[in-house]
Amino acid sequence: MPRVSKRKSDAVKSSEPAPKKVTKEVERIDSFFASYANTSIGMIDPEGVEKLCSDLCVEHTDVRVLMLAWKMDAKKQGYFTQDEWRMGLKSLHADTIKKLKKQLSELQKEVAKKENFEDFYRFSFRYCLTEDKQKNLDIETACVLLSLVLGPDFNLQVDSFIEFLKIQKEYKVINMDQWTNFYRFCQEIEFPDLKNYDDCLAWPIILDNFVDWLREKSTSA
Amino acid sequence: MSSQKKMNFQIEAFKHRVVVDPKYAEKTWKILEHAIHEIYNHNASGLSFEELYRNAYNMVLHKFGEKLYSGLVSTMTSHLKDIAMSVEASQGALFLEELDRKWTEHNKALQMIRDILMYMDRTFIPSTHKTPVHELGLNLWRDNIVHTIKIQMRLKDTLLELVQRERGGDVINRGLMRNVVKMLMDLGSSVYQEDFEKPFLVVSADFYRGESQLFIESCDCGEYLKKAEKRLNEEIERVSHYMDAKSEVKITNVVEKEMIESQMNRLVQMENSGLINMLVDDKYEDLGRMYNLFRRVPNGLSLIRDVMTSHIRETGKQLVTDPERLKDPVDFVQRLLDERDKHDKIINLAFNNDKMFQNALNSSFEYFINLNTRSPEFISLFVDDKLRKGLKGVSEEDVEIVLDKVMMLFRYLQEKDIFEKYYKQHLAKRLLSNKSVSEDAERSLILKLKTECGYQFTSKLEGMFTDMKTSDDTMKGFYAAVGHELGDGPTLGVHVLTTGSWPTQSTTTCNLPSEILTVCSKFKSYYLGTHSGRRLTWQTNMGSADIKATFGRGQKHELNVSTYQMCVLMLFNSGDGLSYTEIEQATEIPSLDLKRCLQSLACAKGKNVLRKEPMSKDIGEDDTFYFNDKFASKFYKVKIGTVVAQKESEPEKQETRQRVEEDRKPQIEAAIVRIMKARRVLDHNNIVAEVTKQLQTRFLPNPVVIKKRIESLIEREFLERDKDDRKLYRYLA
Repeated sequence: MPRVSKRKSDAVKSSEPAPKKVTKEVERIDSFFASYANTSIGMIDPEGVEKLCSDLCVEHTDVRVLMLAWKMDAKKQGYFTQDEWRMGLKSLHADTIKKLKKQLSELQKEVAKKENFEDFYRFSFRYCLTEDKQKNLDIETACVLLSLVLGPDFNLQVDSFIEFLKIQKEYKVINMDQWTNFYRFCQEIEFPDLKNYDDCLAWPIILDNFVDWLREKSTSA
Repeated sequence: MSSQKKMNFQIEAFKHRVVVDPKYAEKTWKILEHAIHEIYNHNASGLSFEELYRNAYNMVLHKFGEKLYSGLVSTMTSHLKDIAMSVEASQGALFLEELDRKWTEHNKALQMIRDILMYMDRTFIPSTHKTPVHELGLNLWRDNIVHTIKIQMRLKDTLLELVQRERGGDVINRGLMRNVVKMLMDLGSSVYQEDFEKPFLVVSADFYRGESQLFIESCDCGEYLKKAEKRLNEEIERVSHYMDAKSEVKITNVVEKEMIESQMNRLVQMENSGLINMLVDDKYEDLGRMYNLFRRVPNGLSLIRDVMTSHIRETGKQLVTDPERLKDPVDFVQRLLDERDKHDKIINLAFNNDKMFQNALNSSFEYFINLNTRSPEFISLFVDDKLRKGLKGVSEEDVEIVLDKVMMLFRYLQEKDIFEKYYKQHLAKRLLSNKSVSEDAERSLILKLKTECGYQFTSKLEGMFTDMKTSDDTMKGFYAAVGHELGDGPTLGVHVLTTGSWPTQSTTTCNLPSEILTVCSKFKSYYLGTHSGRRLTWQTNMGSADIKATFGRGQKHELNVSTYQMCVLMLFNSGDGLSYTEIEQATEIPSLDLKRCLQSLACAKGKNVLRKEPMSKDIGEDDTFYFNDKFASKFYKVKIGTVVAQKESEPEKQETRQRVEEDRKPQIEAAIVRIMKARRVLDHNNIVAEVTKQLQTRFLPNPVVIKKRIESLIEREFLERDKDDRKLYRYLA
């Protein structure tokens, strides 16, 4: 168990930290980093991420990995830089695998908070844009991501929308605007009766089409 | 104060009271009473007016006015009672006559009595607030004659019966009617209304209700309207002859209600004779009658308008969707113009040029013309036909009339930009083949389009004209400079077209014969010598050529052909029996065009300068072509060119429409950006409305397309959605 001194530095987080203890934490975080990093590039690469995940006992497609990336504000999917690592783990106060594992559930709670979730949601889209200057996500990836990120809370809407996305032919990719608006859709529109959806408002056309398709389905069913 | 004393006359008042003999009043009254009797018995001539007046005067003066007045009342009343009996006793038709006669006499008597009693009328009566003599006389008449039970009823029934007989066609004594009715009017408007007018209106309503039922079952619409109009006029005339003028509007309301308003719908919808039939058969008189009658009732005209509108929309819709009609665009447009002229004439002649109907006509046309998406193309083809040959020999004013009519149809189009595209194409062909009947007419139409749609619409069209002129000058310059070098070579005519102004064409391959190549390259170097920094590309698919050909028996003809056709024919100078493939290889003309070209050279009757084996209608890739020595034609000059504007084929039409749709996207985006830049923040519905308004002179944008463009602009970060209000967009500077 950590010593009294560590707990003290916990309490005085906002004021100037006792440098010796903090650097000790930083050191541990760095060595934590080093245990997974690919030394030739100085970053944790996909292989390292996989190893990390298995050590954390989560699938590497688990949403908590995504949340971790959010916490680190990671820029490139599948990679963590040392700075990202430091920032993320420092704010989580996890410098060992055990602590990190424990903090994952805390992280989930944090993300679920209203003020954070939207940010996390948007981040997850950007995170999947693997190419430079890429602005849109292909349908396949978008579906998987939606399931992962919104599935737990809005699984009716998400399942429906995924079905629609796969059937429709008009759009081959999703952009950030459509992505963001789907979340708003889940929040604001009653499902599945869609009573309060007004397509004269400024919803993106893809959602107009989605609603039309749903309404058609329910009348023919 | 004069010292001289003058004698002044002074009249002194009576110093002693004059005592009036109490019997004086009675005596005087008796005289007057007697006079009244005499008057009523037509014996007035023996009376002295002056004496009677004085007597009445004295009575009033000596404070016997009351006696005089009440005496008058009772005397008159007893006379009137006698008169009543006499009137009641008269039989049948004499009833009214007797009443009338007695009334006239009474009035005369009344006048005399009033004159006699004038002093009382002026002094005693006002101060005691009694009814003046004349009015008294009328009231007494009213109460003792007109309002007696027997007479009142009989009078009313008699009058109404006479009106009824007159309605049935009988001739009645109108003078007598007038007098009696005037009597009622003189007795007071409430008497007139209660004793005559009200019952008259009720009976009339019943009568006309019956009439309308009868007529509607037995007449067609036109006949019914005639009858209704006749009845209406009769009633108006009747009122003018023997009723109070104020009754006119009341009786006409009755007729209008019973004969028109209650049957309005049935009349309009009547099979074989209703409104629609009248419109179709141009029955101006009947329609005019209907207009004049229906405008008198509430909603009458709007009923006509609504039925007319739906009829025009229906016929128009059938017209524009009938596949037979669509085969000939020029005829199609002519039919539209005819329909419009027809209805315009109807509105003019029968509907008093009523604006409401003009608007209905316009909105109907706008509705159905836009049902057919090819309307813009067809209207352009119509114009093309007119400007090519239709207006040949027509006077300038008539040309203007035709063009104005075209503009009218143009205004109805929602997709004006499609019209513009076709118009450009057709104009290009007209200009290049020099087929325009009158340049003035062309210019006139462009001016009208400019006035309607603004400078931008026509600037490119005007550019085309400019190019033609400039090319003329260029050719003159070319021949002046280089003419001597050309020798016997073919005479060249070049039109240099500025790329932006003319309809876009993709450049095609075509191997020109060597003689042509030589002179063309000379031109090119001349031109580029005088205009640096430009690039010239030969548009072989738009040119034409005149070539002289000698056939088997020496007959010569001059052939007017397209450039492609020229290339093909020139091959036969150095060979015969050429296969399709050989021709294709030699000329490198794209296959679709080549097939069309060969078809016009080998398969068209009277123009088959080539012979094809096998002799089938279509061009196959295994066909062989021979020079047709046996070609014969009545004319020396034979035209085989195929540069006439035609109705587009399906795939071509799709392509044009697609291009227009593509052109619309940037226009919509520009409109959105313009609006957002000015407003900064705006909600979705308002953006759509504003964009539609801004673009309405060119086309009607689809709201879904507008939304798509907005999304695209969001993606390109020109706009963003407001974070809090779902409906708003913001402009990103």
